[in-house]
Amino acid sequence: MNPKLKKSLLYWALLSPLIVLILFPFAVMFITAIKPANEVLSPTWWPREAAWRNFIDMWAVTNFGNALWNSVYVSVLSTLLALAVSIPAAYAMSRFRFTGQGFFRQFLLVTQMLSPIVLVIGLFRLVVWLGLLDNVNSIVFVYGAFNVAFTVWMLQSYFSTIPKDLEEAAWIEGASPAKALVMVFLPLALPAMTVTAIFSFINAWNEFVIALTMLRRQESYTLPIQIFSLVAGRYTVEWHHVMAATFVATIPVAIIFAWLQRYLVRGLAIGAVK
Amino acid sequence: MIRSPLTNPYVLILPGFLLAAFIILWPLYQLGTISLNDVNRFGQLRGFNGVENYVAVFTDPDFLGALWRTFIWTGGIVFGTLIVSIPVAMILNEDFYGRSLARVIIMLPWAVSLTMTAIVWRWALNGESGMLNSGLQGIGLIDQNIQWLARASTAFPVQIMIGILVTIPFTTTIFLGGLSSIPDDLYEAAKLEGASRWQTFREITLPLMKPFLNISIVLNMIYVFNSFPIIWATTQGGPANSTDILVTYLYKLGFRFGKLGEASALSVMMFVLLLAFTILYVALAMRRERT
Repeated sequence: MNPKLKKSLLYWALLSPLIVLILFPFAVMFITAIKPANEVLSPTWWPREAAWRNFIDMWAVTNFGNALWNSVYVSVLSTLLALAVSIPAAYAMSRFRFTGQGFFRQFLLVTQMLSPIVLVIGLFRLVVWLGLLDNVNSIVFVYGAFNVAFTVWMLQSYFSTIPKDLEEAAWIEGASPAKALVMVFLPLALPAMTVTAIFSFINAWNEFVIALTMLRRQESYTLPIQIFSLVAGRYTVEWHHVMAATFVATIPVAIIFAWLQRYLVRGLAIGAVK
Repeated sequence: MIRSPLTNPYVLILPGFLLAAFIILWPLYQLGTISLNDVNRFGQLRGFNGVENYVAVFTDPDFLGALWRTFIWTGGIVFGTLIVSIPVAMILNEDFYGRSLARVIIMLPWAVSLTMTAIVWRWALNGESGMLNSGLQGIGLIDQNIQWLARASTAFPVQIMIGILVTIPFTTTIFLGGLSSIPDDLYEAAKLEGASRWQTFREITLPLMKPFLNISIVLNMIYVFNSFPIIWATTQGGPANSTDILVTYLYKLGFRFGKLGEASALSVMMFVLLLAFTILYVALAMRRERT
């Protein structure tokens, strides 16, 4: 047996307990999602037949479409909001040295460390004061604001890798700073902005506490709250519907994430540790 | 340099600063005010009452229980994650068949919302119909069903285990960044000198990984301390508040029991604690920058 194959078998064997533990909930989710209703409560591993209809039934029973729309709305708008304010800030942080830069960096760090849960009572009052309780737009603002630190951090670390000479060359050629920014810098920064936007989107997509606190009526629920409401405080839970909903809400995001995680690794490594 | 709003850094950072400051500083100010006032359950302030809310929090036995469990929760997850992530990162840093698949699998829990993960586990841990019990019986580890979430003595360790599973991806990522920064020559030199694997690990890998270990420990402490969905979606701190940690207890105080004054006082204390963690992080990060 060649040495690399031997090494591979050993490593897979060492990783296998962890891998089993990680894949176990995914298996539970998928198998329950395709179990027929009368088999859900018997803890067998394989259903006698796959009930693909569960996915169709789930859509109507769990109010899935509405929650999906709310989640998409909130995630897209809060990402756009965060990017709109973070791109200029990250540009300033990576291109200029100015008094107060250190303060702004510390400020971002503190906002990054504070999870919304610690501020939740103050945030609740803020939202009530603005008259936005039970309105998905309140969540857009809160997510947007809490994402500023992360997006500035990520964008800044990528922007710093784009050489400044290119813009300076454009200025010398007579381009205004605005033109240099739009024609030279932004196209180069586009991949970084896309990646950052997707992570910001995923953060908003998965958020729980703020949505749980601010959204009180089912019409405004986002997906995590909608699915949580099917489970919490109920005597009978339709687990096959819940798991089908979880599956549909989770798998697309997980695939995008798996595909993009190496960019996150790079961004975090540049930003957080250096 | 040409003058333009686009070359004025203050103009550029202003919108971001204002948005974040408004959403974070205003609530913080509110929390400070409420915590020093007598307040009814609808949030109306009924006069200054000094540190009474703080005293009320500290004399509540449920608070002390939640505080103690927060230490166990944070310590258990951070330490457990560390113990698992170091070998996992070292394996993933090696070249072997199927490495990219292994990386994707290990990173998978990061992609799923904690709420969804916790809901799936809640179902898997179900006493009669849960697949964990049937799985464990299938391989002969247990011979009767365990009601995992019905008692704190089984529920809390399981919650910590879920916490470790979802913290591993981030930690491993940081460690992989650290491992790739160690030059290969060092290992080759150690091999020539006849160092054993354990010696190489002790004398080269660990010392050079130290800044990454420190930073991951501090960041994980902050994230885990703040972590709400795992406990809320599995047991909501129950049965009888026996799995509450500070964040779930805070939420109950504020939104179930309507004790806004005490909840605000607790928030302020947690904010101070987080600030201390943050200062520790900055100190560690700066020490690394200087070396």
